[in-house]
Parts: sequence; C-alpha cells; structure tokens
Amino acid sequence: MQKTNSNNEHRTKNIAYRDNRVFEMSGYKREDFSVCLGCKICASVCTVNDLSADSNPQELLSSLFLGRTIENDNPLVRFCTNCYRCTHNCPWGIRIPEVIRAFRETLGVESQFEKAFKGAIKIWGRVYEPYVFLMSATFMLKEGYMRYMPKWLEYMSFHLPHKIKGR
Amino acid sequence: MEYGYYPGCSLTGSAQRLNTTTKKVFKKLGHDLKEIPDWHCCGAFEYGDRNELIGFSKSNLKKAEDYFNDIVAPCPACYKNLKEANQEEGNRFSIIHPLDMFEYSDIVASTAVKHDLKGRLFTPYYGCVLLRPKETAIKNKDIMESVITHFGGEVDGDKVKDRCCGGNQFFINKWATERLSKLIIDKTRGDLVVFCPLCHMALKTFSENRKIIYFNDLLLYVMGETDKL
Repeated sequence: MQKTNSNNEHRTKNIAYRDNRVFEMSGYKREDFSVCLGCKICASVCTVNDLSADSNPQELLSSLFLGRTIENDNPLVRFCTNCYRCTHNCPWGIRIPEVIRAFRETLGVESQFEKAFKGAIKIWGRVYEPYVFLMSATFMLKEGYMRYMPKWLEYMSFHLPHKIKGR
Repeated sequence: MEYGYYPGCSLTGSAQRLNTTTKKVFKKLGHDLKEIPDWHCCGAFEYGDRNELIGFSKSNLKKAEDYFNDIVAPCPACYKNLKEANQEEGNRFSIIHPLDMFEYSDIVASTAVKHDLKGRLFTPYYGCVLLRPKETAIKNKDIMESVITHFGGEVDGDKVKDRCCGGNQFFINKWATERLSKLIIDKTRGDLVVFCPLCHMALKTFSENRKIIYFNDLLLYVMGETDKL
C-alpha cells in the first residue's frame, strides 16, 4: 500500500513537471485553457482525423488543464502536421500545434531527421541539407525513402555549408 | 525598389528553383531583392520552445534593421515565423510574402502576355501556413485563382483549399504524408500550382504523373521568360 502511494506521488510529480515545461515552452498558462468551451470544433477539423480515428485536441487541452496523463502514443503527439486548422476554427484561437510541439519536445519523441535538422542549425546556424540526409541515412534507408530518389533529382544541387556569424 | 530578402534554408538547397524564380519575377516587375546579411535559420516548426523559435527570427530582424524596412520571405514557414517575431517587436518592419507583394491589378497591368493559359486546367494549392493562423496569413487568399483565370486558365480545387498535404510529417511518418497528399491529388484536376517547397516535394513524391508547378514558374511562362510550363 505504501509503495502504491509512493508510486502515485512520483507520477503526480512527473506530470506536474511535464505540464510546467509545456506551459513554459508554449507560452501558455494553465488558466488560459479554462476558457475552452468543450465545443470540439478543433476535433472536427483536425487533419489527424484522416490518419487516426481518435484524435481530439480538446481532450488533450483538458488533460493538460486538469493535470492528467498524456501518453507518448497519443495520435496528436505522433501525427500533428502543424496545419493550424484547429487554431483557425477555435473560438479562442488557441494555438494547439504549439502546445503539441512543446509536448513532443518534453517527451523527447523527436525523429532522427528532426534531431539532424536541429544539429545542422547548431553547427552552422542554418540547415545544410546534405548533412541532415547523411545523419538520418539509416532512418531513410530503413523506411524506404530511397525509392523516391528519381523524383527528387530536381531538388538536388551542390553547395558548401555557410557558417553564419553570430546568432 | 529594393527589398530585404530572407530566402530561408530550403531555398538555398532543395527549393533553389523557388529562389531563382522569385528573384526573376521581382526583377521582371522592376524590384531588387537583397539578402539579409548572415541570416539564421528560422527553425521552421522544429522547436517546442516558442521563445527559442521566435528568437531566431528576432535575431534576423536585428540583422536587417540597418538596411531594410520591407522584407520579402517566399517560404511559408519562414514568412510565418518572421511575421510573428515582427509582431512581437512592435511591427517595425513590413514582412511581405510574394503573393501579397503584388495586388492582382499590378500583375495584370504590368505583365505583357507572351503565353496565355487558355485550354489549361490548374489547381492552386496554398498549403497551410499561408492561410493560417489568421494573424500571420497572407491578405490575397485568392490571388492564384484570379491570376490564372485572368490569363485564360481554368481553376479547380476549392474542395482542398484548406486541407493539409502532411508535408510536416514527411520525414517522421511518411505514410501519413502519403495519405494526406493523395487526398489532395485525388480530389483535384489539372496541374497543381504551389508556393510552398514542402508541399511541392510531398505532392510530387506521391503523385503518379501530375505536374506540380511553382506559381512563379506559371508567371514567368505567361511573361515569356520560359516557353514551356
């Protein structure tokens, strides 16, 4: 019984830490979500509906508001396309994709490609595409991206990376 | 007139075509584009920390402040981030997307038509961030349709105008991009006309043999800069 209590306490602390990070990063405060009317317009227009049956941005916001658990495999965390259809239709204009981006970063669910993208920015201040492709080569090979190469020929060009001065 | 120019990372690489054609169109219409010195990547949609993300664009504005008042940004993600940073900095600059640069009447008035678009069918596709969120959206939300029909072309695609091609998921879950792009491809007819490099790549990758054209290429064809579209 004592162990269960301690586990629950630990879990609550983790959620509180996660929520604070999400609020801090997305620029929202917990009370900002108290205005959500539960109209679910966001859910009705969400692009993720075309990919997964149970996408519900409103539920994600209320979980955040109430300090409930949100799993890594939540369809929005996995598939949000940053299309802003939810924000565009929300009566309060809540920028849900930015909340989800903060979530993704807090949960550490970035893909190899995303890590390489940020890695290039860290080195040069800009994205150098050959580096990004090289650093995510195993992912690209495994996931079958190479079959698109003939179609991608028109996108290929060669230039050296430019390291910028100052941020 | 001279404008500050923020090409963004993809226009120096895979979307080089958008870079060269934007410069050509501006030149044709009597304007010069001058790059912001040593600009930093805008971060696209890759950062969870909003301050960090918008901070990149704020630093780009700082780099531009001694040189320009008006900045042109053709890439939709760069345009959105730069515009948001500018709004937070008190709108000291005018951040312009090429689709907002020229009113429909300017394009029509200053274009000597070498090739018209009669007998051709197009689907103008804006992608997401040029149209949303409304605080950073472009003003001329029908400009591609207006220009195409003025020069004799037929337009389709109203059904998909606010849909997403899933380009943002391209290098995370490509099946998701494939499904979303195919929804757009299958529900429209004619050549797809775009302005976003990511939409271009997603639609091109997942279409069998549809033509995907940058809007600039269409303008340059009408102006007679190229003879093939």
